[in-house]
Amino acid sequence: MALQQLNLILGLVISSKFSQVIFPLESAQQVFVGLIRFKLISNISANLKPFILILISAILFGGSPIKDASEVFITSQFGDSVSIKMNTLHLNAELKSQVQNTVRQTFYRDELYYWTISQNDSTLAHAFLDNVLGKSMPITFLVLLNTEGEIISSEVIKYREAYGGEVGNKNWLSQFIQFSDTSDYSVGKNIDGISGATISVNSLSRGIRKIALLYPLVKDDLK
Amino acid sequence: MSTIFKIVLLSIFSLAIAQDEFFQPGSSIGGYGEMHWNKANDADGNITKNEMDFHRFIIYYGYNWTDKWSFKSEVELEHNFVADGEGELELEQAFVNYHAGNWGFQGGVVLPTAGLLNEYHEPPLFLSVERPTYSKYIIPTTWFGNGIAFYGNYSGFNFRLAIMEDLEGENIFYKGNIRDGRGKGYKTTGINLLKNLSASYTGINGLRIGGSLTLNNAPLADDNEEASSDSTIAVQLYEINAKYDANNFYAVFEYGKSGFNYDGANLPGYLNDDDETVIWSDFSSSGYYFDLGYNIGGFINTNKLIPWVRISNVSKNDDDVSKQTDYLRFGLTWWPIYDVAFKTDFANVTTDGTTTTEFNFGIGYKF
Repeated sequence: MALQQLNLILGLVISSKFSQVIFPLESAQQVFVGLIRFKLISNISANLKPFILILISAILFGGSPIKDASEVFITSQFGDSVSIKMNTLHLNAELKSQVQNTVRQTFYRDELYYWTISQNDSTLAHAFLDNVLGKSMPITFLVLLNTEGEIISSEVIKYREAYGGEVGNKNWLSQFIQFSDTSDYSVGKNIDGISGATISVNSLSRGIRKIALLYPLVKDDLK
Repeated sequence: MSTIFKIVLLSIFSLAIAQDEFFQPGSSIGGYGEMHWNKANDADGNITKNEMDFHRFIIYYGYNWTDKWSFKSEVELEHNFVADGEGELELEQAFVNYHAGNWGFQGGVVLPTAGLLNEYHEPPLFLSVERPTYSKYIIPTTWFGNGIAFYGNYSGFNFRLAIMEDLEGENIFYKGNIRDGRGKGYKTTGINLLKNLSASYTGINGLRIGGSLTLNNAPLADDNEEASSDSTIAVQLYEINAKYDANNFYAVFEYGKSGFNYDGANLPGYLNDDDETVIWSDFSSSGYYFDLGYNIGGFINTNKLIPWVRISNVSKNDDDVSKQTDYLRFGLTWWPIYDVAFKTDFANVTTDGTTTTEFNFGIGYKF
């Protein structure tokens, strides 16, 4: 009996993994709803409930090291006294083309995660999580802006390739501090390049500029 | 169920489910290429070369299985076609890559880290039409072969160890350089294995400094009757390099030196083209180049335009002045966009007191 239960659990883990691979946008909550819908939970014996609860907690709380890393970085910049709240920003076609045409780089997805950082009910800053394409894999980065739209700091959250990871260097990223939508982001003029990381440098500079250009356009809609 | 068991199970599930929502499995392509027009005159001004050549055409293909496991490859066609011993078709890279944040592993046809250009050789990344002569005879760019590599980076420092196929001692013996000793992944040996250890630092904006050490006891093939059966040519190559590209300044410096020492019972020799017996003697080769340029693109409102000068010496044999050449090269390189470069350069090439001239024009791209 115990072996069968374990098999069922493993099956659930594997199927939920696959569903997220095939439909990457599907959230953990949807998997949870799906489990209820198919009455998997109601049909199992009481003996199995702790397993299921653990599985669901794992899906809900263990699912995104990228979001966790983003929040760790935000906390490192503002300390523990602020409150941070994650939201999703949907980008409509008009908004996208407005930014993309200036920067000549497309958005990686039609939505962005952002965090509102506030203290005593007043908003201090926003942090945007976005991706640009390196040589063949996405570079996931976070940009923190104050309410004037000036960059406070930025961070490479995840770099996935063997070459070009130098764009994660603090010194290089610090060049964007105080940049805004009107700044000159030209690599070689205002932004120093990195020998051996040309593709990543150009791509990420444009990606950071996209966020700076987007900010004044969406500022009033942010939660 | 005990609490510890629950916690362990929770951790296992968390790890199993924790995944990368931005990564999508799939393939990627890229490439680079360069067309050259090379002209040369001898010391009396007579034309010795006037050649147009689509020197290199490279297709890069990669596949990403997961955010950590991927495959990368580069296939190169040199001189536009392959027939009757003309042109070259090479698999310059083909490796499985495991990349875990700040360290990783590669296995297959890999590149040793030696000099600035071996791993970063796309034409928009260097100034001259042709690759620097240094990067041909001192560092045999592009140098590739069967092997594995481990790499890691920490706080601006990058380290890499490549362990690869042997160099072909037989070809080093006859031709006297590493370049002709490259096995290129074609039925090579793994008797002594080549070791390539390198480090670089990129923590200062615009600056890259690095160096490497490469060692191999290159086996001489059994068909050399005068060499003892376990004889080798011990090859040691060390090099240092630096590149600065910021605040409109562009400067590159590379220096490298190779030693070639025979290690075996009796010193072998061979008959050269004039039927003279040549006995092996240990020797070394060395070279450097220094590039200095300034980006004037800002003055005429274009992306990047650099007039530059290069001073270089390449000594294929440090004991033989007839194999030591000085280069003084001037050039102008224009990048209308980052991935496309138009290049032109002019050089005085001096060997043993005789100066010839070169004029080159080239177009290079990458994507």
